[in-house]
Amino acid sequence: MFVQFFYILRDRGVPVKPTSFLRLQKALSLGLVTSLDDFYTVARAILVKSERHFDLYDQVFLHHFRGVELKDPEAYELTDIAKALLQEWLKDPAAVAAAFGVAEKELKKMTPEELIRYFLDRLKEQTEAHHGGDRWIGTRGTSPVGHSGTHPGGMRVGGVSRSKSAIKVAMDRRYRDYSQDGPLTQSQMGEALKRLRRMVPAGPKDLVNVDKTIRETLRNAGEIEIVFDRRLTDRLKVILMIDNGGWSMEPYVEIVQTLFNYARSQFKDLRTYYFHNTIYDVVWQDARRYYRPEQLEDFSRRDPETRLILVGDASMSPYELMYAGGALDMSQRSTRPSIDRIKFLSSLFRHSVWLNPAPLWKWAQGGTIGVIRQVFPMFDLTLDGLEAAVRRLAAKN
Amino acid sequence: MKENEKKRHAFHGASKYILDEELAKIVNISIALEMPLLLKGEPGTGKTMLAHAIAENLGLPLIILNVKSSMKLVEALYQYDTLTRLNDSRFGDSKRDVSDIEAYIRMGKIGQSFVSGFKTVLLIDEIDKADTDFQDDMLDVLDQMSFDIIEIDKTVKARHRPVVVITSNAKKDLSDPFLGRCNFHHIAFPEPETMRRIVDVHFPNLGDEMATACIQNFYRLREIGGIEKKPATRELINWIRALRSDPDFKPAILERGDVPYLGVLYKKSADLGLAARAVAKVKR
Repeated sequence: MFVQFFYILRDRGVPVKPTSFLRLQKALSLGLVTSLDDFYTVARAILVKSERHFDLYDQVFLHHFRGVELKDPEAYELTDIAKALLQEWLKDPAAVAAAFGVAEKELKKMTPEELIRYFLDRLKEQTEAHHGGDRWIGTRGTSPVGHSGTHPGGMRVGGVSRSKSAIKVAMDRRYRDYSQDGPLTQSQMGEALKRLRRMVPAGPKDLVNVDKTIRETLRNAGEIEIVFDRRLTDRLKVILMIDNGGWSMEPYVEIVQTLFNYARSQFKDLRTYYFHNTIYDVVWQDARRYYRPEQLEDFSRRDPETRLILVGDASMSPYELMYAGGALDMSQRSTRPSIDRIKFLSSLFRHSVWLNPAPLWKWAQGGTIGVIRQVFPMFDLTLDGLEAAVRRLAAKN
Repeated sequence: MKENEKKRHAFHGASKYILDEELAKIVNISIALEMPLLLKGEPGTGKTMLAHAIAENLGLPLIILNVKSSMKLVEALYQYDTLTRLNDSRFGDSKRDVSDIEAYIRMGKIGQSFVSGFKTVLLIDEIDKADTDFQDDMLDVLDQMSFDIIEIDKTVKARHRPVVVITSNAKKDLSDPFLGRCNFHHIAFPEPETMRRIVDVHFPNLGDEMATACIQNFYRLREIGGIEKKPATRELINWIRALRSDPDFKPAILERGDVPYLGVLYKKSADLGLAARAVAKVKR
């Protein structure tokens, strides 16, 4: 029964196991499911194992039992972005118009429905041909808007206006909170990180040392002498700084997610910060890089034995790294170039590494990767690279 | 199971717990399929309360295993009290038989639920705190409903299969084999209407005006961005309690946008600061 339902679920990316399906059959045979409502609830509890898939399950359920058309996931996302753009347009029409490179008046003539359609079309153009295309936003293009572009004096649209600009909003839809998900696929990664742990005895003496107890009892001529030890606990402090901004990190999201998940389960004292491309005066505690900034100076108060791990592709326009005020985001223009800040950071923590998810052949092309490599020992984010990085971090001196 | 027994073991909700129909169905199907029920949801959605409610409703004793990060599975199963045995063998003044190791085996929480003379509800709280190995091994035990005591080479089999409820706060998923053996439910944060019923259960004689004002404000306050720990049901209940104990308080104060006792709702100083600023903005 409901075999087709099962397959549509699988097709749509809900990881349903055959055993779960058999279990559903058992539930049905028990006679506890008497209506479609019951079936909806029971099948979900048995088949779907994560709330992230609930929405998808609902869609498939409606499709299968109510004949509602399934949405193409991509179209769905674009519609959302277009809606976000409309919101932004209502707040700051000039910025949106500028981002699209059309006159504000043109856009003002349109009704909201037309606007959404217009945004949607432009967004579709964008998904079909960005990255090196010559349309409006994207990376490494020649269009004047966008970033990392080669257009002389090319300027990123984000962060110019007081409120967040339209494109920023669209891009915000693309950001991912690395802490959110990511199935743990590469368990070796956890093994590699585990070696970093430094176990030291700490806390009250409440663990019986059997060997010592026996020895001491014997020495005491059979009078029991119980010897207690402190428990071993992990005292290693780790700071993880992740580049979660922009399009250039997008291909590596999955691997960074895996790293993040393992790091979080491995280390007791782990702090995570986020930055965009490179580090200026502040890093952020929240993945949106908005609410909770932390001054870089404050890191000088941290334990210098803390292990610092930076994760990023280290690829950006040279001026972002080398010139004062090179920050893409206007709101964090600084008086000192980013390279100074990076050097400052590396002077604070002697045990530090930069993990780069970009493939090794890209490193040879030089650019900013070469510069950052001179400051931080850089390792590629593969199992081998990670192990080498861990060896480096675990070194005593 | 006999028909009357089946009836007795069907779950409807308990006196202090507001249960939606969907969840009741899932609980019942999990009991019928004899599978552990995994509950996820943000703190304060009543995951732990549910286990209490199931136990109360079915009239079964509740055994709670609070998972800790350093916990080993064997601690949850049994403990061999070597120290007492050593002590007894030295001084010989106890009634226990020193040569009988079994006298020194103490059951852990899972063990207790197995050897209990009647059916129990076993709550395994905050499973995400333990490492993956713990989780997988534990599910093996719960699957087979038996475990071995190595010291005395004895297998403990569950006399009555306990109703197992597992809670998790984690955002990340548990391991696949683990999920495969559980039924899953995510408890969403209650809607204002449900919240009203929850409030009514806790404060039966709260005025309509007061309840509406409090709940409206509560959901408005949850909207504030950048908060690390959003106020949950527990905070709302405490907040209403605080408001009621203040003789000068009137619901009209809330309507003006003022929020007294913000500290009851926000437990972290950074959150409190953010919320206080947001409230001040509305007031102006």
